[in-house]
Amino acid sequence: MNTTAPTIPWTTPQRSAVRTTSEDVRSVRAALASEWIKLSSLRATKVILTLTALVGAIVAGGLAATADDPTLTASELFIYPLPLVAMLASVTGILMFTAEAQHGTLAVILSSRPARWVIVTAKTITAATVGLALGITGMVAGFAGASIGGVELGSGSHLASRGLWALLYIVLAALVGLGVGMIVRHTAAAITGLLMWSLVIESLLAPMLPEGVRHTLPFSAGYRLLDAGPNFEPPVLIAHQLARPQYALVFAGYALASIVAGTVLLYRRDSN
Amino acid sequence: MITLTGLTKRYGGRTAVDDLTFSVADGRVTGFVGPNGAGKSTTMRMMIGLTRPDLGEVRFDGVSYADLRHPARLVGSVLDPRSMHPGHTARNHLRAMAALSDIPVDRVDTVLAEVGLEAVENQRTGGFSLGMRQRLALAGALLGDPRILLLDEPSNGLDPDGIRWLRNYLTGFADDGGSVFVSSHLIGELAMFADDLVVVGRGRLLAAETVDAITARRGATVVAETPQPAELARALAGPSTSVESHGDRLVILGSSKAAVSQLAFEHGIRLVELSEVAPSLEDTLLDLTGASAEFVSA
Repeated sequence: MNTTAPTIPWTTPQRSAVRTTSEDVRSVRAALASEWIKLSSLRATKVILTLTALVGAIVAGGLAATADDPTLTASELFIYPLPLVAMLASVTGILMFTAEAQHGTLAVILSSRPARWVIVTAKTITAATVGLALGITGMVAGFAGASIGGVELGSGSHLASRGLWALLYIVLAALVGLGVGMIVRHTAAAITGLLMWSLVIESLLAPMLPEGVRHTLPFSAGYRLLDAGPNFEPPVLIAHQLARPQYALVFAGYALASIVAGTVLLYRRDSN
Repeated sequence: MITLTGLTKRYGGRTAVDDLTFSVADGRVTGFVGPNGAGKSTTMRMMIGLTRPDLGEVRFDGVSYADLRHPARLVGSVLDPRSMHPGHTARNHLRAMAALSDIPVDRVDTVLAEVGLEAVENQRTGGFSLGMRQRLALAGALLGDPRILLLDEPSNGLDPDGIRWLRNYLTGFADDGGSVFVSSHLIGELAMFADDLVVVGRGRLLAAETVDAITARRGATVVAETPQPAELARALAGPSTSVESHGDRLVILGSSKAAVSQLAFEHGIRLVELSEVAPSLEDTLLDLTGASAEFVSA
């Protein structure tokens, strides 16, 4: 080890200055920069991005290659891989927090920025950005996969609105993941819990609930943001359907509630 | 200057830290010692806001840690050297820390050089040994060029060269006017460079004095070898003197070589050997914390 002298000439007032709310607001930018460095330098992020592209291309391409319906087009099929992409977004959201708790870096960041809401805000923005990136990747790969699978590109008339609703679904899924990660703080438990809930429990619970309530389950509501699925459902369910913005509000409500609960716990719990 | 006032933390019915009040002076290395479970780590976590105290407060240069605008510029801390993502390289770990604290990124190169990790800066920390993690964690603490260092067992895992460097670095840091608050189980090591000691047991403050004052508490140990150990032990018996018998050898605390010699002469006891052993900090601390040790070896 060397004995290089320290180099930053902080003055005493600069060292022991007291923080204010406006400075905390400004420090969100620093927290975002830190989150970006962490996320972009991890191999896991690249693996999830690649996996998203593969899922999009393979699912949409496979459906296109095996479709019996000649009217199916790439502009419809690109939606089908997105529930899986949403799961990957949720897992990424979970990892953004649980990895910090698990490896002890949560203590490092909380001691660097005592205003804990700054950390939550930076992580929320980053998770939303990750959701956007995964959503765009999944959709582009799905579209390309479907085209390669041999279907027509289809009409572009509803493509933009379909794509935007789907993006919202994936962004909100990433935020739900972040919230669940903040609450549970354990990677395996959070991922297992979220997948169990979305894939098993919600499916088992749904038939036991009144039709009106069924649509308010988180992932059932989230799924309705995609332009797929309801055509195959019984009329009684279709009759109770909400409008898409209402489903968006329901799913966003779950995302918000989970992040708020996680934030409250972050303030109340001792960090690892 | 760090001041702790009435710091208290309870977990259920157990008081982990009990009304701790002391201060850590500028320009000094202050050791923080106590047996396992004495509340050292809890105290250090409360100092930087990671654990919420039930009572009391900690101030750094008069400001609570949670109120500091740029904590890393005043306080550098290492409470757990394992606190790093195994998938990040050493450089990226420090870059993320620097960005979060608004510290110029060129400090990353400076601190990597300071702790001797330039050669492995692009290796993932998952492959680091404990000593390398310790160095990287220390580099993180030094990023903001702080005036105060809080270190929990910083020499764990370091090689002898690293331990010597750390000792010199911390001494130099204090000589430049900084405050160093360092917990360690290596009492001998601490005795070589600490100026002051804060001793805790079962969460309570047992002593907060200079190393010399604490060491002097015990007094010297006198070893006497005599063919009449029982007679000498009887002659030495008194409220302030303790005598341990090992065959013909007596280990005497609370007396002096001259006093034992005089007593032996007065009682006609022949001495084969008489020597005085200077008090060790380790023995003194064991005396101090013995009654408060939570976990005792068989």
